[in-house]
Amino acid sequence: MPIADKDVTWVDSPKLGLFEQLYLPLIIGGLTTTLSHMVGKKRTESYPEQEPTMPANYRGVHRLNRDENGRTKCVACYMCATACPAHCIDIVAAPAPEGWKDREKYPETFVIDELRCIYCGMCEEACPVDAIELTTLYDLTGLSREQMIFDKEKLLSVFDQTTKAGTDPVRTRAGDLGPASEAPPRT
Amino acid sequence: MPTVYVNDTPVEIGTRKLNCVQAAELGGVLVPHYCYHPGLTVVASCRMCLVEMGELKDGKVTMQPKVFPGCQTPVKDGTVIITGEYDKRKPAPALPYDPAYKPGERAKKSQADTLEGLLLNHPLDCPVCDKAGECKLQDYSYQFGRTESRLVDEKNQPPNKPDLSSKITLFTDRCILCTRCVRFTREISGTGELQVVGRGHHEEIDVFPGFPLENKLSGNVVDLCPVGALGSKDFLYTQRVWYLKTTDNVCGNCATGCSVHTDTNKDIVYRLRARENPDAQGYWMCDEGRWGYHHTHSPDRITRPLTKGADGGLRPTPWQQVQIRKLFEDAVYVTARRAVVVLSPFLTVEEAYALGTAFKKLNKELRLALGPVPVVGEDDHYPKNVKGEHVPPTKFTIRAEKCPNRLGVEAVLTKLQGEVIRFADVVREDLNAMWFAGGFPDPEAVNAALPAGWKAPAHLFVQDLFHSKLTAAATVVLPATTAFEKDGTFVNHAGLAQSFPRAVKPGPEVRGELQMAFDLGGRKGLATVAAVRKDLAKDLPQFAALTELTQPTASKKVELATV
Amino acid sequence: MIAFDWLTLLIVIAGVIAVVMPTVGYLTLAERKVSAWVQDRLGPNRVGPFGLLQPLADGGKFFLKEAPIPRHVDKIFFLLAPAVSMAIALVALAVVPWGGTQPPPDPVATQGVEPAAVVQQYADTQGGYAKSFNGVIVPGLDVGVLVVFALGSLAVYGVILGGWSSDNKYSLLGSLRSSAQIISYEIPLGMSVVGVLLFSGTLNLEGIIQWQKQHGWFVLFQPLAFLLFMVSVYAECNRLPFDLPEAEQELVGGYLTEYGSLNFGMFMLGEYTHMITTSLLMTVVFWGGWSLFGLEDRVTDPIWGAVVKCLILVTKTGFFLFLYLLVRWTIPRFRFDQLMGLAWKVMIPLSLLHLLAVMLVRQYSLSNWVLTAISVGLFLAAGVYAVAFGTGPNNAPRRRVISSPSPPVGEGLGVRGS
Repeated sequence: MPIADKDVTWVDSPKLGLFEQLYLPLIIGGLTTTLSHMVGKKRTESYPEQEPTMPANYRGVHRLNRDENGRTKCVACYMCATACPAHCIDIVAAPAPEGWKDREKYPETFVIDELRCIYCGMCEEACPVDAIELTTLYDLTGLSREQMIFDKEKLLSVFDQTTKAGTDPVRTRAGDLGPASEAPPRT
Repeated sequence: MPTVYVNDTPVEIGTRKLNCVQAAELGGVLVPHYCYHPGLTVVASCRMCLVEMGELKDGKVTMQPKVFPGCQTPVKDGTVIITGEYDKRKPAPALPYDPAYKPGERAKKSQADTLEGLLLNHPLDCPVCDKAGECKLQDYSYQFGRTESRLVDEKNQPPNKPDLSSKITLFTDRCILCTRCVRFTREISGTGELQVVGRGHHEEIDVFPGFPLENKLSGNVVDLCPVGALGSKDFLYTQRVWYLKTTDNVCGNCATGCSVHTDTNKDIVYRLRARENPDAQGYWMCDEGRWGYHHTHSPDRITRPLTKGADGGLRPTPWQQVQIRKLFEDAVYVTARRAVVVLSPFLTVEEAYALGTAFKKLNKELRLALGPVPVVGEDDHYPKNVKGEHVPPTKFTIRAEKCPNRLGVEAVLTKLQGEVIRFADVVREDLNAMWFAGGFPDPEAVNAALPAGWKAPAHLFVQDLFHSKLTAAATVVLPATTAFEKDGTFVNHAGLAQSFPRAVKPGPEVRGELQMAFDLGGRKGLATVAAVRKDLAKDLPQFAALTELTQPTASKKVELATV
Repeated sequence: MIAFDWLTLLIVIAGVIAVVMPTVGYLTLAERKVSAWVQDRLGPNRVGPFGLLQPLADGGKFFLKEAPIPRHVDKIFFLLAPAVSMAIALVALAVVPWGGTQPPPDPVATQGVEPAAVVQQYADTQGGYAKSFNGVIVPGLDVGVLVVFALGSLAVYGVILGGWSSDNKYSLLGSLRSSAQIISYEIPLGMSVVGVLLFSGTLNLEGIIQWQKQHGWFVLFQPLAFLLFMVSVYAECNRLPFDLPEAEQELVGGYLTEYGSLNFGMFMLGEYTHMITTSLLMTVVFWGGWSLFGLEDRVTDPIWGAVVKCLILVTKTGFFLFLYLLVRWTIPRFRFDQLMGLAWKVMIPLSLLHLLAVMLVRQYSLSNWVLTAISVGLFLAAGVYAVAFGTGPNNAPRRRVISSPSPPVGEGLGVRGS
């Protein structure tokens, strides 16, 4: 939406007084600031030796969540694949196996190309059953392109790994939108 | 002239007998509806089309005190229709309403209330529902509905019925009981498998035990279902509909030539749907055509040129090494009277014409024959009664002639050589060379056309989709294209010419029949139908209307020319 | 003529080069370290303990990398430019006194004296000077300061050659900016030193140090001249806040854009050497060189005396080098019009006025401290003038949105539970 001229004001630089016009005192003030930083506490994390703690809403490697029966929560609705701006998610849906009473559809394969992914988190936003989430795993490496293409088992193992390590991502709004979705938080 | 007022806009209806939905559509106003379908009887069961009605008489509007189902209510001169979208009406002088009357208010509330009622037990599992994206329940809820449900009780969730039919599954809980499917089986197919069982809150669509929904038109109920309740098992969970690109095609499986929508994604056909075309077949299509596209992506297809090696076996050969024109010229060098060119009824008019002229240009003495015309049984007319007998009037016919374009190819042959030579006649001759332009989706049709003790010509060029007895004896086998893989025109049993655009690209090493014609005729330029249609119009004036077609675009109804 | 001891000369040259080259290397490390510390980082710490071998790694990289020469450049000048830049910077070091020095004796009067006596007198005075040890490559150079300035001005040739021969608009713009900037700042630079020269009465750097040892450091008497001098050399060295010739955000890399590998390395070497030279100059001309409140005289041993003097000088120089690095992270870059305005509207008038003051003080033999007062007074007066008549930083008015239009409410998705 364009901004109309009436919503705009033009601001002049503030007038300088004698103190400012002399430059030197301000420069000395600036030098003091930089000097104080020189001796101050350093923020650097020496990465390989010192592992950083990622914020819980960090957008790293994906995981596919399991429900309480250990099955993938995903219902193969393709919402993530549709929302994905990088087109890195490939799903093949199939009718759910016999005995899965709570749903009709499940992902036969679920593949994410972690190299193509831009880690925007749109898939997480789009998921109606909170099945896909971005974890705090950030140091993803591989020796070949094939290694970086994660299939369903690999993505589920990321879930196991992060759950075991206690680094579950921040749960976005859970809802009663689908059969495999969690119950909303009771308040 | 009788005039109806739709949201204050005067609409002239002429002498037609219309209901409110149709009259509003004439005025460019959508009256939402689920159960109403122009091809079925009206039951007014969904109540979605409720409108306010009144009459303009003597300069005064008298509104009825209640709302009416628009599908069931005929209009006459002076009828005033007010829909829920009155506040978004087109600019028109307001009618002289009673000052206290607020137009559109009741209709709007009715629509929202109806939708709330329909959605009471709807599971809202859109993420896993195949209909999501083309679902009328979604569309209308978005356009006319409430944002929240007030239902506090448990939803009624009856179990799914995957055994409704071998081809069709029923998600019972998604059903809104519009009964379109029930009416279809009763009125169009006449087989009457489907019915509503239970009462009130517990109504469900079902079949009698032991009498599943198995008739040759059953797939239409999937198209008819306005929600995701009835699903085709063939399409189930394969694609989300928003990925699909729709092309308007013509079904090539029988001489009826049904107009269809072809839904494709990444050059793979996933689904066919009937396209409403009163000139061709009406609203429906048969299951054979609907699920008969699988040959397009069959792994058995001939995908590259093959030539007969020294050991007598066929081996793949690059196109550069297959000098079609030279090979064929050599084959007919001695005597063209012992050579024949077979143009199958699966070719489009343009292909048949281009190939015919190209061969005639090669050698005037070459004979052109019509390929084998597969005929299976007799024409199958619907509706039927319980004994399987046809009950007039006919509402749909599945033709026995299982090819799309016999009339078109015959017209071309008649023009080019004055007569139509039958394949059955030429195949018994002692031939030296034969060019067989096939495109048969079923190789058995080719095998059946060959007489017992058939002796293959010394030079046999076959362009076909699948391997048959003919390709086994061939010296050169070329890949062909299916009806989805080319632009063209088919002429159906009644002489109706229908043009259609290409829906998917053929395989990388497939050169279409049109390209073959250009190569053989030594014609320069791109092998497009537009180029052929210009010449076609000169030779066969009945196809002149085709030249006026611009490049066929998807989802556009093409002009029709009748032969 | 002064007969030089070639061996001593070679040792001193080798010593200076051996010290300066690693110093330049470690100056780059210091630059990165200081940058890091100022930004609360650690800086390079992977190569060697505390990253101390980083300069070696960098140097090795410069040597081993491919030297790309774009097809469109003028090859000869393209390759000449970094060499010129570095060579000039190194040559300027020749006249800088590193350790204990004594000024050459004044020339003897020859008028009315027997030629033989003149020769004898010359041998007595100048000959003795030639034999004495001086911590400078070219001792007794009577035009020392002028040589430094002359060579310093030549440094712009390297930049111009590089920018022009690169045949690249960014390079050319960078070098044009550089030439305009260096010409502008040469004037206050020269003017500010004239005051010093008027007092010390010699162009010889050893002589200037000697004067300061006797009368006190020039920075005490001419603080304004020192300020002008310092600002000017920052501009001469293309250091922030005057690094417009290579302003990355505007000119990609300025005149350095097309250079890589050792060619680039030589430019960098030249620049950092220039920093060292100018820091030494500031020390020598204004801060008493190797003198430090008589501390240097406590050590009577000639060898240790030279070492102590050298250490004093190096410490002072190191402080100025550190100031270079610190200022880089304190003051943002000037706009080009501000840069020019500062030179022509502020520094040149001030240096002229200051020169006038110096002449008055010398003419009427006033106390040196009077000059100090005048310096401070001029500085304050300039500020007052700017407040009264100045136009400020000359910025265009800035656009500010006071209220942003919000999207219409009530349309779009019916949000669940909103």
